[in-house]
Amino acid sequence: MIPFLLRRLVQSIPTLLLASLLIFFVIQLAPGDFLTPAKLNPNISSEQLAALERNFGLDRPAWQQYLFWMGNMFQGNFGLSFQYQQPVLDIIWPRILNSLYLALMSLILFYSIAIPLGVYGAVRQNSPGDNAVNIVLYFLLGFPSFFLALIVIYFILQLRNATGLDIPIGGMTSNNFEELSPFGQLLDILKHLIIPALVLAISDAAGLTRVIRGQMLEVMRSDYVRTARAKGVSEHTAIWKHTFRNAILPIVAGIGSLLPALISGVGFLEVVFAYPGITPMLLTAIGTQDLYLIAGFTVITTVLLIIGNVISDILLAVVDPRVKVS
Amino acid sequence: MTTTLPDRPLKSAPARSQSQFGVAWSQFRKNRLAKIGGFMLILLYTLALFAPFIAPDGLSNYSTSNITRFHPPTPISIRDPQTGGLTRPFVYQYGQKLNMDTFVNEYKPTTTRCPIYFGVRGDEYRVLGLFPGTLHLFGTGTENPNCKVYLFGGEALGRDLFTRTIYASQISLTIGVGAVLISTVIGLLMGAMAAFFGGVADTLIMRLVEVLAAIPSLFLLILLRSVFPQDINPIFALYMILGLLAFIGWGGLARVVRGQMLSVREQDFVSAAQALGAGNGRIMWRHMLPTMTTYIIVTLSLSIPGYILLESGLSFLGIGAVEPYVSWGGLLSQAQEGGFASITQRPWVLIPGFFIVFTVMCYQLLGDGLRDAFDPRKRQ
Repeated sequence: MIPFLLRRLVQSIPTLLLASLLIFFVIQLAPGDFLTPAKLNPNISSEQLAALERNFGLDRPAWQQYLFWMGNMFQGNFGLSFQYQQPVLDIIWPRILNSLYLALMSLILFYSIAIPLGVYGAVRQNSPGDNAVNIVLYFLLGFPSFFLALIVIYFILQLRNATGLDIPIGGMTSNNFEELSPFGQLLDILKHLIIPALVLAISDAAGLTRVIRGQMLEVMRSDYVRTARAKGVSEHTAIWKHTFRNAILPIVAGIGSLLPALISGVGFLEVVFAYPGITPMLLTAIGTQDLYLIAGFTVITTVLLIIGNVISDILLAVVDPRVKVS
Repeated sequence: MTTTLPDRPLKSAPARSQSQFGVAWSQFRKNRLAKIGGFMLILLYTLALFAPFIAPDGLSNYSTSNITRFHPPTPISIRDPQTGGLTRPFVYQYGQKLNMDTFVNEYKPTTTRCPIYFGVRGDEYRVLGLFPGTLHLFGTGTENPNCKVYLFGGEALGRDLFTRTIYASQISLTIGVGAVLISTVIGLLMGAMAAFFGGVADTLIMRLVEVLAAIPSLFLLILLRSVFPQDINPIFALYMILGLLAFIGWGGLARVVRGQMLSVREQDFVSAAQALGAGNGRIMWRHMLPTMTTYIIVTLSLSIPGYILLESGLSFLGIGAVEPYVSWGGLLSQAQEGGFASITQRPWVLIPGFFIVFTVMCYQLLGDGLRDAFDPRKRQ
């Protein structure tokens, strides 16, 4: 298993390098360079500008600039955010963590919705329950997640006005967050996370439920499940041990490719729910042409996604013993 | 075992034989849901084409003297309140008053009636940019400029939301589809090139596909958007968003095309064409790419909904169409204005979202129908 993982890690290095090259190239395309917005900013002194120019080698040809940029990044120096007047990493790291919490929460809910529904649909194929689930999910496929979120907010607000319940729908923490105990703080964050995460999970669950249902149906017709049934294993074992474990293999293998979509999907909900995640900050960064910030975000999320891919490989190796051999 | 040749040659058969598309078409016609989806889409596109005629107002008309910010929808009455008899449809003109307790600007209907005329003269427009006209399907005429129909209410600048929604359909319905078409062409070209030239070209293209898949698409789009200045030409912005969407989406198709081309290249009919002396271009276009037709038709129709959703998402985030143009997603971003709580005061700004849902559903029904029609296992 270790050599398999090492091989996957080594394979991902060129992808990462090329991604950074692409990001750098796109930023080079932008009018002016990293410092153009900074030069217009009277708050940045000329000494600071000169230091930046020297650090990032902006007076040199483009390929040398790229090497400087990469070299600086390896030392954890992502440059200076012009908008916030601080090193980029200090600003973006908490934001990235916030987005990761939301993504993780939504991923858990996503699977705990899609798997039972998919398995149910396959086991009770064409039953009224299966048909009802299918129709509702088909309908949900058409909803953009942000629109679903707006509708949910509308109804929660109505509910709040009607009953006076305090259901949190915006931000990540309550106003009295600082005064809460550590456990209370955790609970407070969870309370704020659950609604956006649930909305995202529901709006995404339709696709996966259909895939799981189809996979389960296919595996249930295979010879080894019939053999297992003939041997007299219980229905529960036949479904969960013999069918389900084989049916989810393609899904586990696909987690890696699902992550970029997940991170993008989280972005829309962050904007709707005013959640302090990556995307709201990126959008303001476009307005202020804060290029180091945009580049830093894109590079770090790409790295995280590649790590996520490796984790999904480990998961696949756990679920499917054949992977370790090959 | 001996096999006997049929007595007559098969020549009499062609009268009943069907082409692949013939079979698919007859299968498709049996699918009622898919037909409904297709019909509704034709309706939507007709609506978009004649948007300036159907909309009672111009694309970006608003009064600077009588500000009707978030004007509520005006219900249309057809009964005279005094006599109770049928009359020409009319709406009441609304007046505004600041509620001194809540400091919210409140709209209340006055007693002034605004009759609705059909086929009224109004704003000038050009259908398809070619045919000028001033005729509108309905409107309140020019007698009283403060008289206006707000079927869906008003938006942030006091413009008629119904007009804006109808105009927005022109953008929402075309950008997504256009982007899918362009990215399909890019995907086909790139995949075919990778398979055909092999070596360095193959490695480069496939690496690029991997890189595009590795960067989260939303961030890639934001990054690419930041290349262009904020205050770009509104028309150019539409082309830009079309190009960006097409650029990020071709990877998956290129990968499939490459795999298919590589396996087809080894097959007998390609060797036969080579033996007959066909050139590379002819083999590619006449022999190899046609094997992908079905796959491409199906993926194309199934990926359109995703692109429409993505386009609406980008417009919602404010990196899509620029004023005065707007798409359904852009109209939804008004629900965000003024904080969370204000959405309960103007739920009608959510209406454009249902147009997105409806369009996406129609495309899904159509796409599923096409997929089943081309799938030999699902023939009835």
